Amino acid sequence: MSVFGGDSWGREAHHRKRRVDDLLLDAAGDHSSYRKLSSGKYACLLCPHNPVLDTPLILSMHSKSKRHLAAESKLKQREEERQNEMNKRIALSLDSTSMNKTSNTFTKQAILASKPLTEKTQKATFEVLHSSYPAQGTAVSSQSISPVSENAPYDSSHLTNASFGQMEATCCDVQVPLDYRERRERELKFTAAGWKRDCHGGWFRDENVEFDSDEEDPNECLLNGILLLRHYESIDLPTLVIQHRCSHYVNE
Amino acid sequence: MYLYNLTLQQATGIVCAINGSFSGGNKSQEIVVARGKVLELLRPDENGKIQTILSVDVFGAIRSLAQFRLTGAQKDYIVVGSDSGRIVILDYNKEKNVFDKIHQETFGKSGSRRIVPGQYLAIDPKGRAVMIGACEKQKLVYVLNRDTAARLTISSPLEAHKSHTITYSIAGVDCGFDNPIFAAIELDYSEADQDSTGQAANEAQKHLTFYELDLGLNHVSRKWSEQVDNGANMLVTVPGGGDGPSGVLVCAENFVIYKNQGHPDVRAVIPRRADLPAERGVLIVSATMHKQKSMFFFLLQTEYGDVFKVTLDHDNERVTELKIKYFDTIPVSSAMCVMKLGFLFAASEFGNHALYQFQAIGADPDVESSSATLMETDEGFQPVFFKPRGLKNLVRIDQVESLMPIMDMKVVNLFEEETPQIFTLCGRGPRSSLRILRPGLAISEMAVSQLPGVPSAVWTVKKNVTDEFDAFIVVSFANATLVLSIGETVEEVSDSGFLDTTPSLAVSQIGDDSLMQVHPSGIRHIREDGRVNEWRTPGKRTIVKVGSNRLQVVVALSGGEIIYFEVDMTGQLMEVEKNEMSGDVACLDIAPVPEGRQRSRFLAVGSYDNTIRILSLDPDDCMQVLSLQSVSSPPESLLFLEVQASVGGEDGADHPASLFLNAGLQSGVLFRTVVDMVTGQLSDARSRFLGLRAPKLFSILVRGRRAMLCLSSRPWLGYVHQGHFLLTPLSYETLEFAASFSSDQCAEGVVAVAGDALRVFTIERLGETFNETAIPLRYTPRKFVFHPKRKLLVTIESDQGAFPAELRESAKKECFEAAGQGENGKMEIENGGDDEDKDDPLSDEQYGYPKAESDKWVSCIRVLDPKSTETTCLLELQDNEAAFSICTVNFHDKEYGTLLAVGTAKGLQFWPKRSLTAGYIHIYRFVKDGKSLELLHKTQVDGVPLALCQFQGRLLAGIGSILRLYDLGKKKLLRKCENKLFPNTINSIHTYRDRIYVGDIQESFHYCKYRRDENQLYVFADDSVPRWLTAAYHVDFDTMAGADKFGNIYFVRLPQDVSDEIEEDPTGGKIKWEQGKLNGAPNKVEEIVQFHVGDVVTCMQKASLIPGGTECVMYGTVMGSLGALLAFSSRDDVDFFSHLEMHMRQEHPPLCGRDHMAYRSSYFPVKDVIDGDLCEQYPTLPLDAQRKIADELDRTPAEILKKLEEVRNKIV
Repeated sequence: MSVFGGDSWGREAHHRKRRVDDLLLDAAGDHSSYRKLSSGKYACLLCPHNPVLDTPLILSMHSKSKRHLAAESKLKQREEERQNEMNKRIALSLDSTSMNKTSNTFTKQAILASKPLTEKTQKATFEVLHSSYPAQGTAVSSQSISPVSENAPYDSSHLTNASFGQMEATCCDVQVPLDYRERRERELKFTAAGWKRDCHGGWFRDENVEFDSDEEDPNECLLNGILLLRHYESIDLPTLVIQHRCSHYVNE
Repeated sequence: MYLYNLTLQQATGIVCAINGSFSGGNKSQEIVVARGKVLELLRPDENGKIQTILSVDVFGAIRSLAQFRLTGAQKDYIVVGSDSGRIVILDYNKEKNVFDKIHQETFGKSGSRRIVPGQYLAIDPKGRAVMIGACEKQKLVYVLNRDTAARLTISSPLEAHKSHTITYSIAGVDCGFDNPIFAAIELDYSEADQDSTGQAANEAQKHLTFYELDLGLNHVSRKWSEQVDNGANMLVTVPGGGDGPSGVLVCAENFVIYKNQGHPDVRAVIPRRADLPAERGVLIVSATMHKQKSMFFFLLQTEYGDVFKVTLDHDNERVTELKIKYFDTIPVSSAMCVMKLGFLFAASEFGNHALYQFQAIGADPDVESSSATLMETDEGFQPVFFKPRGLKNLVRIDQVESLMPIMDMKVVNLFEEETPQIFTLCGRGPRSSLRILRPGLAISEMAVSQLPGVPSAVWTVKKNVTDEFDAFIVVSFANATLVLSIGETVEEVSDSGFLDTTPSLAVSQIGDDSLMQVHPSGIRHIREDGRVNEWRTPGKRTIVKVGSNRLQVVVALSGGEIIYFEVDMTGQLMEVEKNEMSGDVACLDIAPVPEGRQRSRFLAVGSYDNTIRILSLDPDDCMQVLSLQSVSSPPESLLFLEVQASVGGEDGADHPASLFLNAGLQSGVLFRTVVDMVTGQLSDARSRFLGLRAPKLFSILVRGRRAMLCLSSRPWLGYVHQGHFLLTPLSYETLEFAASFSSDQCAEGVVAVAGDALRVFTIERLGETFNETAIPLRYTPRKFVFHPKRKLLVTIESDQGAFPAELRESAKKECFEAAGQGENGKMEIENGGDDEDKDDPLSDEQYGYPKAESDKWVSCIRVLDPKSTETTCLLELQDNEAAFSICTVNFHDKEYGTLLAVGTAKGLQFWPKRSLTAGYIHIYRFVKDGKSLELLHKTQVDGVPLALCQFQGRLLAGIGSILRLYDLGKKKLLRKCENKLFPNTINSIHTYRDRIYVGDIQESFHYCKYRRDENQLYVFADDSVPRWLTAAYHVDFDTMAGADKFGNIYFVRLPQDVSDEIEEDPTGGKIKWEQGKLNGAPNKVEEIVQFHVGDVVTCMQKASLIPGGTECVMYGTVMGSLGALLAFSSRDDVDFFSHLEMHMRQEHPPLCGRDHMAYRSSYFPVKDVIDGDLCEQYPTLPLDAQRKIADELDRTPAEILKKLEEVRNKIV
């Protein structure tokens, strides 16, 4: 070990030093908080920037520093939070599967769990819709619920009038010519072709986009599709939605 | 990702060329050419073919070359001006075939800079001093001298600087043995720089300045300065000191002027072509001087390709007349070299270089222009006209192929061959072409003759061991043998002594002068005097395999018995030994008899139990097994190949003699091991898959050395070239059996059988990786695409400043009629046809197109069938339109199928300001099975569409700085969506799934996404480095490869987490609202690979050149080189090669003085790329240096060579 070779105090001194190092390392805290690098230096794993420290002595000093302690406590806190969240979600998922058969994915439920108002609204909407079927439908009371949940996820972004119309159509008509995806696809085609929607759900042409002379008008062909589906229905779609909402609040 | 860069084909363009006697002696004349970063020594051989003697990658940009000779010496030295900030003097070492660095003097910073010398070199004609100049300010003069040991010495530099001065050209002035003088054309801009009104700039005047080196005072001074024409661009030294009047020729726009101190100007007009527009001048672009004992003349070439011979009438120091005579017209060259042997080497600016032979030197006295007939009128000097004619004084005897510049390249297996073909668009203007490159050596077929049946084997034999040429070709059929004698003609003979009623197993010349035929039932030994000795096989056993050399024969009988014969002193074939093998013998071979020995010691026997045994043939341990090698499948053919010891020389580096055993296995693998010359132990095994058939191995002669021909599903040639053992495919059909062939018509040929034909061919251009087929095109090709289904190719070509085809044709017709030639030749549009028309007296390829104004464009769209090389449709664009981009597009739910989109610009001008009348996107429909095009409609756009790409059933176009999405409408394209936020000009678009990778001409890549629900294009990531993009290629979902105009290749990758984030953002709200960073997109791509190629890369593609091999990124450059970047698959290889590269950098610094690491990091630090070109210089190191490096790497030199070979074989 000695640079000069032979028996010298160097080797012994080195051993002693290593022993001290080991002791110091023990003092530096548990082994998961640092890593010994191949260069013989130490990297702190707790601090956000993983500082590299030259000797165990400095590592031990570092582990007593204010910054390190702050990072440590922060880390602990985060870990705790994560554990809590996991517990909560597991509990919720057990809960929701037993309660709500039409649950979406686990994650979505979990997200909603933290948003009680949204959840409440959604539950209410669901109930309203269910309760409204027998009133409107003529011979569909035996319809199962499952296709609804499949075709119309209760994501708030999809809570458009179109999906309501769609949902209704599914319930009302036995043969469904346009399912949700197909319909969405057709809509996308029109948006990609340069059509835009106004706040009433009508379509208009984007002035920056060019159109062919014989281009299809979505106002006609999409609406026609809906009308075809709802041939017995004469109420406009938006009004229908309002009606539903009203009834829901009345019920409440 | 770590990459290995390997140049597959060296640059083919030439930047500068000099000639001289570099190997010493008066007789030999060589040419040294600089091909960008490669220095090459060429020599025309006795047949007038240019041979490459030496090619060295110098890892630096060579900017100028000059040669000088010390007084009284027989040998020329080479001075190199490069971007290294150093002047380097090289000496060609004939014995070792290397350039030796004699001197390397540092004077400045590295890099091609304004004021660091290196751009210009001038030599004192007596070889006493050299001047090296920069574009601006600095000029240094070095005094060259000899020390007592007659070695060349170089002084410290003497400064001849003048600040605020631009230098245009420098030359040495021949003033005999007076103090050396250098002349320079200079422009002083100090006043113009100060004067903001611009008046001084208008009045700035070029001067011719003489700098005198005072050898006594060791000092350089400005001796004389005089105004010259502002169009002056070049100086040519005029012989002096008794040989001529001294002074210089100043080449200026329209004039050649003789100038000297104290001498009035002698001026003559350069004749101009009659069809040249009046506003265009005539400039000299290359010049050469030829001096004989009694006379001297100059050859000057104009920018239109016309070569003029300039002579000076002088009496002593007084020049009385300067005469200019039209000499010939050859393609515009970057350098011309007149050689003493009567050759003119013209290094073309673009396209193939040519070697001409002088038929005459234009000695008749009538001249086009002379200083005596110079007419000055009110408007200036009267122009002189001439009419170009066919070659009269020169005749072309050879050409050297050049791909420069490669404009576009695609690698695809269109012809369904074993390996893909590389399609390149090359050249410029009328000399442009489509070249199809195939990996492999070119062959030239000498003869093909049908035989009466299907032959199984062929041999050639000499009658006597001392004969130069072969005497017989023996062909074996299933049940007969045919003997053909070689003479003036090849004809069948029956008196040769060979048994012709049986098939043959081997035929060879044996002993000194007898022949041997081995057939299944015996050995027939035919003595010189016609006596025949026959040895019969015992019992009913038949001979199955034979191995023989000049003195030994081994036959294997069915059942596995081996019988060994030797030729004794009297020439008798005597049985020596028998040996029973365990099973049937699959193949046999005997090593050639070593020089000065009686017998070879080794017999190799391959068995069907997947083993190869080496047996001893020594009398004391005969038939002892010396070593055993097991292989992966039964061997089919064996061949010993002896590589003779070499200490450099013409072809190769140092290596000791070694013996290789090659085995062709039934699995199609060629297995190669080294045989220890003493013990017979096998080591250093290498294997390589050659094809689907078991390779049959034959020994042939290539350049006087033993080489190996392997016949698998295609033929391969294994040979030693410049120190490397190369195994290269031949571009020829499948062969069954082959033998070397030598006759007086064909010294080193191969005779082979395939099907029922006998073929004789020679192998050409050894050392090259590719062979090419060229199809001429009409204008400078820009881009091309493949018709996806029909195997057709659509190119766009465009040229500036030329007339459209009809105008050219009519003008030409008029011209011919005026000349009274009438319509004798074929009047079809040349270059539209298949080959250059030899009868055409003025082919455009040679003479160039007539020049039009610079704002005139001509362009065409061509559909080409590469298989038949036939153009099936050629649309010439009208009205000054030029095509710039092309793509095929399938519009969704539209009835037309595949359409062709072409982006064009009308009236594009670059100067004084970039402007255009309009841009268009043409949509064409393929008709007649895709062979023809029909215009559907064209849509006007407000910029040049430089990039087009299909995207989700629509067309994406980059129009100026706008990215636009188009749908197909009835009358035009319908603009559906656009993004105007790109910084400069979009010049490349690639798409993958819903991502769009846009390349900006100055600002590298932008990653975009198209959102259908909002009908918007978002840029979500871009590069933080402003790269001037010249080529782009999509590597994977997150990675793009690009090249910039400074000669760098780089890969950028979107970090994985960012990529995931983008993909998992369902609403796209994040991309939309995220804050931009560094004036760009919110996310930045990371540079993962960076490498300075040293040449502008114009095209890139991912491809594999070997069947079933890993893909590599191939690139083509302006200088006409092809390279590949191979990704390493193991960490060990990376470590090994990076260490090898590191040692090579230390042990073998580049020749021109540029540091290798600095060169590869010229613009950005090199990252994760190992330079294979440097690693491959390892075999050229001296043996001890090789060993030293190998020791450092804990390997043997052979292992390193094997590694290098392996990685090369992975690429090509």
